[in-house]
Amino acid sequence: MTERRIGVYVCNCGTNIANVVDCDAVAEAAQSLPGVAVSRSYKYMCSNPGQEMIVQDIREEGLDRVVVAACSPRMHEPTFRRAAEMAGLNPYLVQMANIREQCSWVHDPGETATDKAKDLVRAAVYRAACHEPLERMAVEMCPDTLVIGGGIAGMSAALELADAGNRVYLVERTASLGGNVARVDLTAPYLDSARDMIVDRVTRVVEHPNVDVLLESELERLDGFVGNFKATLVRRSSGEAPPRQVVDVGSVVVCTGYKEFDAARVTHFGYGKLPDVITSFEFEQMLKQGRIELKDGRLPQYVAIVHCVGSRSEEFHGYCSRVCCMTALKYAHEVKSALPKAYVSDVYVDMHAFGKGCEDFYRRSAEVKTLFLMYGKGERPVVRRADPGDDCEMLLTVDEQLSGELIELPADLIILMVGMEPRDDAGQVAHLVNISQDKDGWFIESHPKLDPVATTTDGVYIAGACQSPKDIPDSVAQARAAAARILGKISRGKLEIDAMYAEVDEDLCSGCRVCNEICPYSAIEFDEEKRRSHVISALCKACGACVATCPSAAIKARHFTDAQIFAEITGVLA
Amino acid sequence: MAGEKLQIALYWGAACGGCDVAVLDTNEFILDVHAAADIRLWPIAVDGKYADVEAMEDGELDLALYNGAVRNSENEHIAKLLRRKSKVLVAFGSCAHLGGIPGLANLASRDEIMNVAYLHNPSIEKGNTTLPRPESGVNGSTLTIPEFYKRVYELDDVVPVDYYVPGCPPAADRIKEVLQAVVSGGLPVPGSVVGANETALCDECPRTKNEKKVKAFHRPWQVMIDPETCLLEQGVLCAGVATRGGCGARCPSSGIPCRGCYGPLPGVVDQGAKLLSAVVSVIDSNDAEEIDRILDGLPDFTGFAYRFSAPSSLLQRSVRQ
Repeated sequence: MTERRIGVYVCNCGTNIANVVDCDAVAEAAQSLPGVAVSRSYKYMCSNPGQEMIVQDIREEGLDRVVVAACSPRMHEPTFRRAAEMAGLNPYLVQMANIREQCSWVHDPGETATDKAKDLVRAAVYRAACHEPLERMAVEMCPDTLVIGGGIAGMSAALELADAGNRVYLVERTASLGGNVARVDLTAPYLDSARDMIVDRVTRVVEHPNVDVLLESELERLDGFVGNFKATLVRRSSGEAPPRQVVDVGSVVVCTGYKEFDAARVTHFGYGKLPDVITSFEFEQMLKQGRIELKDGRLPQYVAIVHCVGSRSEEFHGYCSRVCCMTALKYAHEVKSALPKAYVSDVYVDMHAFGKGCEDFYRRSAEVKTLFLMYGKGERPVVRRADPGDDCEMLLTVDEQLSGELIELPADLIILMVGMEPRDDAGQVAHLVNISQDKDGWFIESHPKLDPVATTTDGVYIAGACQSPKDIPDSVAQARAAAARILGKISRGKLEIDAMYAEVDEDLCSGCRVCNEICPYSAIEFDEEKRRSHVISALCKACGACVATCPSAAIKARHFTDAQIFAEITGVLA
Repeated sequence: MAGEKLQIALYWGAACGGCDVAVLDTNEFILDVHAAADIRLWPIAVDGKYADVEAMEDGELDLALYNGAVRNSENEHIAKLLRRKSKVLVAFGSCAHLGGIPGLANLASRDEIMNVAYLHNPSIEKGNTTLPRPESGVNGSTLTIPEFYKRVYELDDVVPVDYYVPGCPPAADRIKEVLQAVVSGGLPVPGSVVGANETALCDECPRTKNEKKVKAFHRPWQVMIDPETCLLEQGVLCAGVATRGGCGARCPSSGIPCRGCYGPLPGVVDQGAKLLSAVVSVIDSNDAEEIDRILDGLPDFTGFAYRFSAPSSLLQRSVRQ
């Protein structure tokens, strides 16, 4: 190996590093390491002058490797890679030593911290010497998109993409579009008609020349990778030999929504036994038909609405379903407006009114004389049939928290606010499109705050309640965000794929197939003809699972080769 | 004495004799060897004393095949002697290559071994306290025997080795190829493994391979083994995935799982670690308790994964007191 010319840059990060680590001493020690041509300490390496220093040294000192000892590579590796690239050096020839998060922030000032920083820099220098220039790959981006689920989220995503001039395949399992919103009468907190909202969307989607609506259809198989998926769609309604079609799409948006909690799982409300204990969705049906009535056709005088059925409970779902509180208030309004003489009581645990306009809505609901009763999270209001002398059908016993009294509440109609839960086949969908589920079964986003609609599979997005319980505005916002992400990719035309990925050396592969199942991204395929395994680099996330698994050492991770890792270990121990 | 003929020696260190038998398994080819070479030392088959070897010029031998591990001071002494006297020294067979079966002794301490072998054992007379010692005085004179080392070494721990011929024992056909290469001067660069393939056993194994999803591991006698499909897929622990091919896949072809005697693949630092990661990778479960249950089906995993390579592995030996 010819002598390297490595530049070492020790960042002081203002006082963030320099207060704990003697940065000048670290730079001086690095000067004598093998291959180091230049070693400097500077106040802020990420600043323009800091980056300029690297660019200038690469050009004037002929550096062929760069080590920046600074913060976490998650923070500034892209910055320094760009600087190297600007000076004509391959960006993968840059290595960072994390002497902030992994040193100055976790140690007391002194010689020991400085020694550790020196060790980390030495490891980085040894490793950098083994770095190889890598090229990023460019792949084509198919502008067509598959949207799974024809609810409010799916339709919103489809329209956003189609309006921008792109083809969309909208796959809906049932015979009609609209999803759960189509089952709702009015929406909270402004009491707009859900029907108007849905009818308008459905009409536009169906009539849109760029949208192919496939009803009673499902995704059966998804092959390929970002920009280049092949989706096999199957029509389920038509008997034994369902027609299939394979479409090329560049992106997939999963908008499969939720199902409501099955109230029969909670026994103490008598659901299924008492005729006038109904779920919120059954009540919506009543509202849509325009008549609030009991099973025997009489009008109810006492209506009780019970919150958190299946939600926020240790027994069923620990999470809050987010929309039920405002929907319950909406029911109070709708009952009062249909039956002005009815008494409405709202039996809640906590009133979650966090959305825009929701707190006002809560206040207005109190003004229409709704009786609010608070029960404890671990408590169970109990329903029983009223006695013949009572003036009502049922009695609801609530251990009321604010008054501390045990209150017996008359009720003719009891509405159970059932929460949301993942659809029964969410696991199959997750498997089909290669995304993950959380402990409750909701699909997991790439980053809970900064990347809310992308997933760990490039090109597959999630929007709406399949990701977690959410209301209409949030679902629409996510759908449009997913569309925006896709439109961004489409407008660039080509996709750049990171140069770090695993590769199989076919001369060393024995075709044993141990790696075939290990890849969490399904990036490994087996070539039956050659009897060799192969990594689809566009799908690979460079996690290294297959590299560790391969018993033949035939799989190598670019930028994480054994030689590089051993050099780093040797460096830190030297 | 030298003349045109090749001068060769064969030696056994800590070995079972199987490697020597494997050389004889080349059948009438051994006569060709004899025609082309003078066999100057081969304790199992021909006459020849250590003193004869000691009397040779340095480098007088063209080739020495050393089989067996280095267990005691005699093994080391002869290894060094043959190294000095031979132009080419070959670590022949698994024990010389990686430590082999005797290398499993590295999982126990010297005291534990002595204890079982000489003190506490049903076949030993009760009350025996005699242990072998390198030197003992008898009737005023001193008797010496080789020193039993604390651990087993593979050959290249004690001397530089030119080539490695893996196998327990090496396959007769591959021995022929190696010997022919010596005669014809067709050996590769020193340091190479010869008489073996560059890909894993699976490459030459005739069994069909599919995606591997294992719910339970079995010993071969516990299940009816399907003759067509990959043994590991059937949950039978087969080391073939992490082992060099070259043996002709004789074991898996006969329904016997590979035991790993041909050693790690090129570029692999630790065969047992690779085997461990391969085996756990095929477990088809995400449930911690079920995984524990499945792993319970792996008795003596160290003995399995490092059956032939403990001394040359990253583990080297047990240091538990």
